[in-house]
Amino acid sequence: MAIATTAPARAAVVNRPRVGVVKFASCDGCQLTILDLEDELLALTDRFEFVEFAEATSRRSSGPFDVLFVEGSISSPEQAVEIARLRAATRTLVTIGACATAGGIQALRTAAEHEAFRAAVYPSPAFVESLAVASPVASYVNVDAELRGCPIDAHQLVELLTAVTTGRRPQLPDQAVCLECKRRGLECVVVTRGEPCLGPVTATGCGAICPGMGRGCYGCFGPREGANVDGLARWFIDGPAMGELAPGDVGRLFAGFTGAAPIFREVTDRLEGRPLIQLQPAGAYPAELAAHTPPRWASDARETPDA
Amino acid sequence: MVSERQWGATGKGAAVRFLPVDRLDDLVTALRGDGRRVVGPVVEDGALKMAEFEHAAELPFGWTVRTAPGLVRLERRPADAQNADRVFDNGPAWSGIKPWTFPSRVDALSLETRSDGSLAVRVEAPPATATAVIGARACDLAALAVHDRVLAGGPAIDPDYPSRRADFFVVAVECALATSTCFCASMGTGPEVTAGADVVLSEIDGGFAARGDSAAGTRLLDRLALEPALDVQIARATEQVAATRASMGLGVDADGLHDRLLANLDSPRWAEIAERCLACANCTLVCPTCFCTGVEVASDLDGRASTATRAWDSCFTAGFAQVVGGSFRPQHRDRYRQWLTHKFGTWFDQFGTSGCVGCGRCVAWCPVGIDVREELAIIAGPAPTSTATAPQAAAPVLVPGTRILAMARPAAHPGSTRIDYVETTVAAVRPETADTTTLQIATDDPALLAARPGQFVMIAMPAFAIPPISISRIRLDGLELTIRAAGPATSFLARIRPGTKLALRGPLGRPWPVEDAYGRDVAIVAGGIGLAPLRGMLDQVLAERERFESVRLYIGARTPRDRLFVAELDALVAQGVDIRLTVDRAGPEWLGRVGIITELFRGAKPTGANVTAFVCGPERMMTAVTDLLSDLAVPPEHTWLTLERRMECGVGLCGHCQLGTRFVCRDGPVFSVAELGSDLRQESL
Repeated sequence: MAIATTAPARAAVVNRPRVGVVKFASCDGCQLTILDLEDELLALTDRFEFVEFAEATSRRSSGPFDVLFVEGSISSPEQAVEIARLRAATRTLVTIGACATAGGIQALRTAAEHEAFRAAVYPSPAFVESLAVASPVASYVNVDAELRGCPIDAHQLVELLTAVTTGRRPQLPDQAVCLECKRRGLECVVVTRGEPCLGPVTATGCGAICPGMGRGCYGCFGPREGANVDGLARWFIDGPAMGELAPGDVGRLFAGFTGAAPIFREVTDRLEGRPLIQLQPAGAYPAELAAHTPPRWASDARETPDA
Repeated sequence: MVSERQWGATGKGAAVRFLPVDRLDDLVTALRGDGRRVVGPVVEDGALKMAEFEHAAELPFGWTVRTAPGLVRLERRPADAQNADRVFDNGPAWSGIKPWTFPSRVDALSLETRSDGSLAVRVEAPPATATAVIGARACDLAALAVHDRVLAGGPAIDPDYPSRRADFFVVAVECALATSTCFCASMGTGPEVTAGADVVLSEIDGGFAARGDSAAGTRLLDRLALEPALDVQIARATEQVAATRASMGLGVDADGLHDRLLANLDSPRWAEIAERCLACANCTLVCPTCFCTGVEVASDLDGRASTATRAWDSCFTAGFAQVVGGSFRPQHRDRYRQWLTHKFGTWFDQFGTSGCVGCGRCVAWCPVGIDVREELAIIAGPAPTSTATAPQAAAPVLVPGTRILAMARPAAHPGSTRIDYVETTVAAVRPETADTTTLQIATDDPALLAARPGQFVMIAMPAFAIPPISISRIRLDGLELTIRAAGPATSFLARIRPGTKLALRGPLGRPWPVEDAYGRDVAIVAGGIGLAPLRGMLDQVLAERERFESVRLYIGARTPRDRLFVAELDALVAQGVDIRLTVDRAGPEWLGRVGIITELFRGAKPTGANVTAFVCGPERMMTAVTDLLSDLAVPPEHTWLTLERRMECGVGLCGHCQLGTRFVCRDGPVFSVAELGSDLRQESL
């Protein structure tokens, strides 16, 4: 994406949109990805006022935010309270990364005994307040847009900010990774090596990084529209062109960074022989705070003729 | 299928030569010396890919490829194999020629709003890079011929393809081996190379039998000063390709396939395939004839400058057939059916040829191994034993060069193949309802001023997608466009200010056939925004009022506040024009009729064979109206609809708006009910 680097003088831009970047349970990698936008950062700061950016500045804000990027999953009771406060102070709330959009790697504890985990990790688990499940932000509050991936694709973030300023819907494709793979002219690792690849069921947006490095996609952007997870898992287990993969191994392929996404979790639990566990923490949150601003991009509809 | 261009029967001056294997590099060097980049099969990441290379030594000497559904394995031939050191005994390279003539992404259009508010519009021209490909197979050349027909055969010509194709030199190789997924013989496209090549090679012991199939190819061979091939070498080449043909396994029963396939749109097999099909789009993207593209728009942060990129798209994505109300093909079943029936069926109707060349890439590169050969056999059933069927169903003899069957090209309507944009000015803005606005567009462009009612334009503006918008009035000084804010681009247009510049392309599509109603009763039936494309036709009907018998309008709106062109229509009513209106839901101030639009027919029926009806509205409304008109004996060939589909190009090149045998943008959007036939009601077609 071409971003003009000759930004207008700072004083020329009045009423810059107020942008915040906050984090919950996460590794900060998505924030670092934003900071890696070296060619675009100056243009971004000229056009947007970053009133809070956890990884970049000690400046903090209580809001309001025109755009708030939220990194990380909701993993503790105080985070559950904080996300509602932020939602109320925000016009456009955008979750960034696998943790915020699907729970992240920490959501794997959903399938484990929470107390046993705590006891194994912490000498005094009583001091650690954590919820039994790590949840995507959307389990608690309305989310206007999601930027997926572990980490996010920074250019999708620029695209989203551009869309916000111009009033259009961001172009965040929901197609399979395969489309980008083939547009790049990459061979299919499933076909040439029998290597499992989640590309056919995973949303593109990364630019097919992993297949481009000769390995299978591990689904960090999460399920795409219409993901036929069962069809892919069945081929991995039974496909005559595949190697020997046990059902449990295939199930675990989907239990990665977006493993808590319902359609992935369902296949993991089934192939590992576990009952499906509900992710949504019942009654964890006051209902009146859960339903806030209507999503700005509520519809997946795209441009059409008027006729 | 005997062709002149075979090893034993070459014309004068095109005698078969022998190219020793150690002189293959001379061929490469000669092509490079002519300023061409040279592309051929090279080993990359476990497969053979058509990539640029410099020396013959980079070609896959000693490699072969084993394929099966969902499987491709690049393997070294055993050292003791008779063909151990051969370079081309490995089937078609997976990526084929397509990326070199029809790249996956090309810049299409740049837009920038200048500081004075004017619009800089640039249609991007492709770079002119002369290319030579070595190692193209018969299937690759058949596919190239299909693309020539689809992208450059008219009526609209792709703005990028012809220049990439113009200086494209082909060194073809006749296959001495068929992989298990090859089925060119059954599609009639190979393995013999009969057309489309400049030079043809057949790999034999110690080198290649080589012949020039074009003047340029013969000249190249002359320059290499090769010895004539021996009779035994020519015989070897001939036997070899015959053996390849004989060894080819499972094929497609192409006899009458078009009809057999289209007769089975409701086969239960589609749903069974959908359980396996991932809708990942790999089959379409490795297919050498698939040509569908979408437009991606990237803008600067201010939204003042943007670039529209044309990228490979696929009918397997949800967005492909998506409009504001949803996708026309929501399920994998619908998408697989679209792909297979287009490739093997409706391609004939549109382009006079099969869309399949039998290369087998879709079989080998399907990550879950779905085999079109098996699926076609199950869905379409066996060919009838008698071949005395309709001409369309006759065996498609697809020898390149001779295989184009009679093809009904659509009539080109004024300007309807236009690919350039015209800068226009928004002269006035008139709000119609809370969400609908009429823009008055000023232009002196002769083609736009010659637009006819029912046609549409594509509107480009920086930072937004390029939506198709129907023309609601044709003026002496421009056009009127009535736009409902449904998506971001239309929302932007609906709140645009006078003086803004817009780039328009058009007029596109087939207009309302107003002349069909001369001397007849006219019934105009509009639902919601569907009144917009009918307004220009009403203008024309009233301007030529004496040419028609009765004229009646039936208009439906959601609520009284959603009525369009209220003052204008009130004035017409005052002049005695018969206009009937109903709303779905009324407010307290509404004294008119409430109910669905077909209720209006109770009062004044558009009855009988003398009625011509023009209908536009939501598709469900149109089918209901069509049913009713049919009950009232209005002939289907005099019942006209205008359809909504996703459109990205407007001229029949991007593939998005396909409905059965039609591209709605190019062949429509106006169709008669008779023309649409059962396709109008075929679910998710």
